[in-house]
Amino acid sequence: MDNRVMIVDDNEFIRESVEILFQTEGIRIVTAEGGNKCLDHLEAGFRGVLIMDVMMPQLDGWDTIRQIVARGLYDGNIILMLTAKREPDDNMAGIQQYVTDYVTKPFNPFELLDMVKYYATLLNDSEHYHDSP
Amino acid sequence: MIPHNIVIIGVSTGGPIALRRLFADLPPLNAAIIVVLHIPQGMDYRIAKGLDAVSSMPVALAVNGEYLRAGHVYIAPGGYHLMLEGNHRIVMVEGERVNFVQPSVDLAMKSISRPLKGKIVGVVLTGMGKDGAEGIQHIKAIGGITMAQDQDSCAIFGMPKAAAETGVVDFVLSPEKMGKKLASILS
Repeated sequence: MDNRVMIVDDNEFIRESVEILFQTEGIRIVTAEGGNKCLDHLEAGFRGVLIMDVMMPQLDGWDTIRQIVARGLYDGNIILMLTAKREPDDNMAGIQQYVTDYVTKPFNPFELLDMVKYYATLLNDSEHYHDSP
Repeated sequence: MIPHNIVIIGVSTGGPIALRRLFADLPPLNAAIIVVLHIPQGMDYRIAKGLDAVSSMPVALAVNGEYLRAGHVYIAPGGYHLMLEGNHRIVMVEGERVNFVQPSVDLAMKSISRPLKGKIVGVVLTGMGKDGAEGIQHIKAIGGITMAQDQDSCAIFGMPKAAAETGVVDFVLSPEKMGKKLASILS
């Protein structure tokens, strides 16, 4: 897997758990304790699968996505939202097309790993499949 | 040859994996299959290629003006609304977002007319919001068969719930069972 993973969560325990999970698999992972740090990583050139918490202080997950899109940093990334809620709130309206998948806490680490690996394979394929429309 | 049967699938967040589960064991169908996924430009072709890797039928991004063929899967590209002309030709339409999204499931489904012969199947899979609820009512109104993904298998039980709450959904199923149902209807 060439692509990297970023865990964006203000909860240190979650960040470290996910970091260990992916490092054990030999997958490169970076951590961000909030939306602003996530944006810093992206501005610095990170591209890969983002696992992002919704509820974070200062810049929450939805507003972080809005910033990612507004700054032109979305291309080459896949965003998975990590949340304690089974159903998303209305703040997701208008940006759902940028949220490829949704993981509910508590999550099964192996299911998360499989999901991220699958999405990473999609990112690894850089050849355009078809011109459209 | 113009396909008489059409399957139209609307899906959003959680869609790539739900689609992979649906198509993994699905045999070739005697139908053209349209997938309207809420996805931005740049990601759409990646999703198409990922689905093509597991599907028994060829999967490609839909192209403006293209004629549908049975046994082919067409993914609506991001940034346009996809509509069908005469139930057999794909038309891409620019314009405002509908239900906060583009492509819109409702617009795509509502562009299908009552067929002279053949079957129309409308499917709503995982996703936030209610896009597809009006569309699935239209599919039912023109004599189609309707399906929605069940709550347990959904990443987000928003769109399928809204579709089911219209009261016109014939089957509420997991993606795997949906695949078997489609095969029994259209093989």
